[in-house]
Amino acid sequence: MALVTNEARRWAEQAFPPHTVTVSRTDIARYARAIGETHPIHFDREVAVAAGHRDVVAPVYFPYTLRVQATTLAGDLEPDGSSSAEVPPLPARRAMAGETAIEFGSDICAGDAITIDKRIVDLTEKHGRSGPLALVTTEFTFHNQEGDLVMRERFTRIYR
Amino acid sequence: MTPGTEIPPVERTPTAADLFMFSAAAWLVHRIHYDVPFATEHDGHPGLLIHGPLQGVYLMQTAVAAMRPRRLASIMYRHTAPAHLGDTLTCGGTVVDAAGGLVTVEVWARKADGTVTTEGHAVFEEV
Repeated sequence: MALVTNEARRWAEQAFPPHTVTVSRTDIARYARAIGETHPIHFDREVAVAAGHRDVVAPVYFPYTLRVQATTLAGDLEPDGSSSAEVPPLPARRAMAGETAIEFGSDICAGDAITIDKRIVDLTEKHGRSGPLALVTTEFTFHNQEGDLVMRERFTRIYR
Repeated sequence: MTPGTEIPPVERTPTAADLFMFSAAAWLVHRIHYDVPFATEHDGHPGLLIHGPLQGVYLMQTAVAAMRPRRLASIMYRHTAPAHLGDTLTCGGTVVDAAGGLVTVEVWARKADGTVTTEGHAVFEEV
């Protein structure tokens, strides 16, 4: 039986509405603490401004937190705690992480309004040793209020 | 930075509190990262899973610290084996290419038994 049905193809072609989030100092401090960053430019506005920034600066890969929160808010919780908004309509039981590719642009500072655009860039069926696999590649693009790219991320999930 | 240069390895041993804070900072509710009975009895893992994206961050931090003041322009990686609470991940890498103002570094995270859990490459721009 094919994993990738017409329903899945329609799901992949849908246009996801852009989502804009204003970043707070608390958001940045929490993420910095979680990944073990201790430099005061992530916590202290005066230090960040003295170093030439507009406000406290987000550590590397901070936009990940914005897109995960947006996805959690966009759906109901599945029994395993994941968001229904990230589950494609595939008759598959297991999901595995595939490749992640990230391009970094401008820094994010507290007060920035970040717009997240999401699209499914690829939905492919392959035949593995254990049967059919569906590969779903999602792209998230993050721009700031000036229109500058702050990050672009593509990742693939493998369903079987 | 010539090809073959190794970047200093960094050991990371995230605690249960670190895994919780990473889930909380992202509002990531996936239970395998904080719910021990779910992760073990239901999903069959030996313990809580260390997030793949957190391992990606450890690779970024390790490479950025070694390549400063160059700017991290891009990274790609894939997860090749699971890592669990209690594992110490040694993160390191090797410069594989340096040309045209770009430096490419192979990066990896491996467990104490040598199993590579995440690997890929990062590209830095000279500033």
